[in-house]
Amino acid sequence: MKFNKRLLVVWLILASLTLTYLWIDQSANGSLRSSEIVTSSVIVIALIKVRIIFREFMEVRQAPVLLCRLTDAWVVLIAVALLGSYFIGTAIR
Amino acid sequence: MTTNLAEPNKRARFVPGQPDMWVFVLFETLVFAAYFSFYLFYRARSPELFLHSQAQLDLRIGVFNTLILLLSSWSVARCVQSSRAGAYQAALRDVFITASFAAVFLFLKVFEWVRLVRTGNGLDSTEFFSYYFFLTGIHFIHLLIGFIVLGAVVYQLRSPARRSQELVETCATYWHTVDFLWVLIFALLYVVR
Amino acid sequence: MTPTASPATPPPGPLHHRIAWHLRHNPKRELWLAWWTLVVFYNLFFPVFFLITRVQPPPQPAADLATQVQWFHDRHLGLLAGFAIIFLVAGMVPVNNALIAYSMRRMSVSPVFAYSYLIMYSLSAIPGLLLLCIALTVGALRPEREPRLIGWIYDFAFLSYTGTMGVFLIGSLVWMLAILLDKNRVFPKWFGYLNLCNGLTEVVVSPCWIFRRGVLAWNGQIAWWLDVVVFGIYTVVFIVLLRRMIQREDFGTGPLPDLAPEQKGKRSEIEAAA
Repeated sequence: MKFNKRLLVVWLILASLTLTYLWIDQSANGSLRSSEIVTSSVIVIALIKVRIIFREFMEVRQAPVLLCRLTDAWVVLIAVALLGSYFIGTAIR
Repeated sequence: MTTNLAEPNKRARFVPGQPDMWVFVLFETLVFAAYFSFYLFYRARSPELFLHSQAQLDLRIGVFNTLILLLSSWSVARCVQSSRAGAYQAALRDVFITASFAAVFLFLKVFEWVRLVRTGNGLDSTEFFSYYFFLTGIHFIHLLIGFIVLGAVVYQLRSPARRSQELVETCATYWHTVDFLWVLIFALLYVVR
Repeated sequence: MTPTASPATPPPGPLHHRIAWHLRHNPKRELWLAWWTLVVFYNLFFPVFFLITRVQPPPQPAADLATQVQWFHDRHLGLLAGFAIIFLVAGMVPVNNALIAYSMRRMSVSPVFAYSYLIMYSLSAIPGLLLLCIALTVGALRPEREPRLIGWIYDFAFLSYTGTMGVFLIGSLVWMLAILLDKNRVFPKWFGYLNLCNGLTEVVVSPCWIFRRGVLAWNGQIAWWLDVVVFGIYTVVFIVLLRRMIQREDFGTGPLPDLAPEQKGKRSEIEAAA
């Protein structure tokens, strides 16, 4: 079934994005240092995954435009909230 | 919101499941975003403490759990498609596959918790672990509710008298929410430095 | 065929005449009285708790005895006066619960839902509201009491108020289940799911038994602030939805009719009179 193949491909993409975390961890291995770059990229990758889940698994791709815009807006909102809290927290340490 | 059973390419745009469930999804996501924001804010204030505690976590179990839950999302999405095409037996099979993946996730989660508590990293040991147990705990509850939701899908698919496609899609939408919330939780608790 | 109640029209005249007419002739007068009781109660509750007694936002669990005694001292008159008001109007709470239970009776689901909700919420008012009021009034009554006793009262009041969310949680779930199973469309399904959101934020409050500082303490950002925001939204939403339910009510047993456009015009008239 054509659509099951698409779903499988989606899962493979999500899985490989998840595995990039292992690579990130490897490259930062041993050093217990906080890194704003690592944190920001990890959050961005997570949000890419969330958007893929919205559009493919939750079928927002085929939904009315309003829902597409809403879910995209939500992804942006979460990005702003997460990155914002993190950087504000870093700034007023 | 009636679903057209024609070829998907020709299908008009439709809202998957009840729009009401989407209200829940968006609202609950906001609430979790607030939880995450507090976590990141306080983490940024004392990074060494958080890093030190975080080192007690096993990233591999986290990655494996994420892959499993993503698989469960895949199988429930497949279930929606099978049910839409009228292949109800295949759809039922997919629901049980989903439940199995979820059960593996739950089992691993409890295993992780027990291991952490045994090594002295309980709920009130450090600030990091308060957040850890809180976020994974509230997610765990969402997953348990997910089992009830899957039960509703099974109930719908079993009998020809029911089989409401809208309800199946609604339940699937809830399941995917639990999945993407975990994607975020995993990134923030296990990987963020 | 379920009979439909025809919205009667009060004769034109001054406001108090129209109100009197409604009290005598409006078939939904009890429902409206209950709804207005709900509105009046919350309009009293928030100022009393936040402004008069200033027990909300809650103080820190980790405060030392001297700070706790000072807390009582700063609020001495507010506590006594504010809670006196609450004790007077506490009887409004069952009326609120009755209206919500009524909404479940109007649904197509079993009456068990309405009755269990009513019983649960009536009982939950004790730890969830009254114990705090009583304990803090006792604490305020004799400021010369030994500090350790004041400390005990302080902990007892706030733990019972914030920590006993379990009953409210189950009540929310009962209402949620009734709404989702209901075929009479008394409430939109998204409100059922909002009950779940509210219930889940209440679950999140339970760690306050363990933590004395931080986001999960009884005054923490997650256990209190976020919970109050969600609860506030939830309360406003259900007050509006209950009003709409009463407007739509036809005293039948079938699906509740939607608000017709001409009823929306009448609505403003009834609103003005009520």
